[in-house]
Amino acid sequence: MQRRPDGNGNRASARFDAARAADVFLALSDPTRRSLFERICDQPRSVSVLAAGLPVSRPAVSQHLRNLEKARLVTSTRHGTRRIYRARAEGLETLRAWVDRYWDVVLDRFAEAAEIAEREARAKSGDTTTTS
Amino acid sequence: MNTRTIPNLEPVLKSLHVQCSRPLAFEVFTARIHEWWPLDTHSVGQTAARSVVLEPAEGGRLYERCDDGTEHLWGTVTHWDPPCGFDCTWHPGRAPEQATRLKLRFDTEGRGTHVTLEHDGWEALGEQAEETRAGYDTGWENVFGAQYRDAAATMAAAG
Repeated sequence: MQRRPDGNGNRASARFDAARAADVFLALSDPTRRSLFERICDQPRSVSVLAAGLPVSRPAVSQHLRNLEKARLVTSTRHGTRRIYRARAEGLETLRAWVDRYWDVVLDRFAEAAEIAEREARAKSGDTTTTS
Repeated sequence: MNTRTIPNLEPVLKSLHVQCSRPLAFEVFTARIHEWWPLDTHSVGQTAARSVVLEPAEGGRLYERCDDGTEHLWGTVTHWDPPCGFDCTWHPGRAPEQATRLKLRFDTEGRGTHVTLEHDGWEALGEQAEETRAGYDTGWENVFGAQYRDAAATMAAAG
């Protein structure tokens, strides 16, 4: 079996980091954090703007934001007394790499099975030519 | 950036060459999928998963069967054209409404076969996202919640 360079999965797979992926999955598994992340993706926002309209306390929002930051889904900068949160592409790249890795594992298994099946079929038919 | 430009939800493309004739490569991928699919790591039931079945026709089901007889539907065949390829919906661990799309193509290449896999349809969740807030949340929950979270937890546990 040969991997083709035209798929873009190999690069992503090389970068795949299981521990980081687990952080991202965990961060997005909570509905409040997901909602915060989506609003930050929409545009950079301050903690107070993000907390408005959510049925959770502001300290709870801050804690959720720290978790998103730890998962590298968002980053923050201080502007005077306000802290502004922005989205980072890196976290979603991790998810993308996970999907790539999923299919790499599946296709490796398929390729192995297909090549064994071919050798068995040739052995049965008495064809001794190799395909390599 | 708005919610439409969340990066990298374009199709996942994979291709490979196998030293196997096209009809046999197609047969191994479909009728013989139970012989090679990595069920331990790539299933809803994980260690309880016993087998995987792909019904060979348009409208056929792709599903996993567990030790206790439970079946988990992974998707439904939407296009069936042996030995050239097939398409199916793809929603392991999720409702059919949350399906992405899978396309498999098999092309003769030298004495072997060039296999192409395309996994797309992510944008359907994005459009749904804009219809209703509830739909949006459900979309994220199903894509990044149930299916991937569990897999990540399994991976993390496995080190």
